[in-house]
Amino acid sequence: MSDLDRETREALAELLLSMADDEFVLGFWDSEWTGIAPILEEDVAMSSVSQDEIGHAKALYELLAGLTGEDADRIAFGRPADGYRHAALMNHARTDWAFSIARRFLYEHADAVRLESLAASAYQPLAELAVKMRREETYHLLHFDLWLRRLAEGGDDSHARLGAAIEQLWSDAQAVFAPLTGEACLVAARILPDSLEALRSRWLERVGERLQAASLPVPSSTGRPQADGRTRHTDEFAWLHGEFTMVSGSEADATW
Amino acid sequence: MGSKDRVWEVFRQEAEGDPMIHGGSVKAPDEELATHYAREFYGRRQESERLWIVPRDAITELDDPDLLKPPFDRSFKRPGGFLIKHKLEAARERAGSPQVDEVGE
Repeated sequence: MSDLDRETREALAELLLSMADDEFVLGFWDSEWTGIAPILEEDVAMSSVSQDEIGHAKALYELLAGLTGEDADRIAFGRPADGYRHAALMNHARTDWAFSIARRFLYEHADAVRLESLAASAYQPLAELAVKMRREETYHLLHFDLWLRRLAEGGDDSHARLGAAIEQLWSDAQAVFAPLTGEACLVAARILPDSLEALRSRWLERVGERLQAASLPVPSSTGRPQADGRTRHTDEFAWLHGEFTMVSGSEADATW
Repeated sequence: MGSKDRVWEVFRQEAEGDPMIHGGSVKAPDEELATHYAREFYGRRQESERLWIVPRDAITELDDPDLLKPPFDRSFKRPGGFLIKHKLEAARERAGSPQVDEVGE
C-alpha cells in the first residue's frame, strides 16, 4: 500500500487531516477546564482526556506528515485558522459543563464509530493506529456516557441545560461525517471501509439509544450533513486558534 | 455532587504478584466514578497492574494506643531487645579474639 497513486494519497491526507483536527481542536477546548472543573478529581480526569486527544492528534499528524513529506508540528500549529478541517461541532467555546459534556458525548460516539471502521482499513498504518486509539477511547466512552446519565438524572437544571446543549449541537455534530472530496476513492480502496453516511447512521442509532435511556429529547433528524461541515468556522474558533498558536507563532522555527 | 461524595482508598499493584500497596485516596459519589478517578490518579501512566478501590467507611480502623502501644517495656519481645554487647565482649575475651569496635547491641 506504500505506492498509493496521487488521487488516493490526497484523499487519505484529507481524511487524516480531518480526524487530526477534530482531536486537536477538541483537546484544546476541553483543556480549558483545567483548574475550574466541578470537582478536583474531575478536573484531573477532563485534563487527562484532553491530553489523550492531543496525543491522538499528534499520531495522526505524524502519519499525515509521513505521507506528504511535511512536518507534523508545522501542520498542527502553522496553518491560518481557515486552514483547519475540524467538524463544525468543534466550532463552539466550552461554555458550561453540560455543554462540554454534551459535545464530548456526541463526539466520542462519532469517533468510536469511525475508529471501529478504520481498524479494518486497507491502509495498514492507519488500521494499526485506529486499533491503538480505540483502546484509549474505551475509557472516554465510559466516562462521558456516565456524565450524560448523571447530568440527565441530576435534577431539573442540569437536565434542561444538557437537553438544550444537545439540541444546539445536533446539526453541527452531523458534520463529523460531512462528505470528503476524495471519499469515493477511499471507500473503493477500502482505506475507509464504510462510507461516512453509513457511519453516520450507526452513530445516530447509538446516540439516540443513549439519549432515550437518559430521558433526553432526541433531536429530529437533520438529513445529510452539509458539504461545508468541515470548512465553515466561527469567531470562537478563531479566538482558540490565536491561543493555541500564540507560543509557536511568537518565534517561528524556534527549537524547543 | 459535593455533599454526597465519599472517600475511597486506592491500593495498587505495580507488577503481577506484587503486594497491593496503598496509593492514596479519591473523592467520588459512588463506585463507578470512584473507579474512573482511581484510574486517572493511580493508573493512567501504565504504573499499575491492578487497582483495589475501597470505600473508606468499609475499612475497620484500629488505632487504640492501649492495644497497639502497650505502656510497659516489651523490648524482650523483639530480638533487638536483648542486650548482648557485654556478653559478646566477655565471650571474645575468653576466646582471645581481638575487640571489634563496631559490634553493636
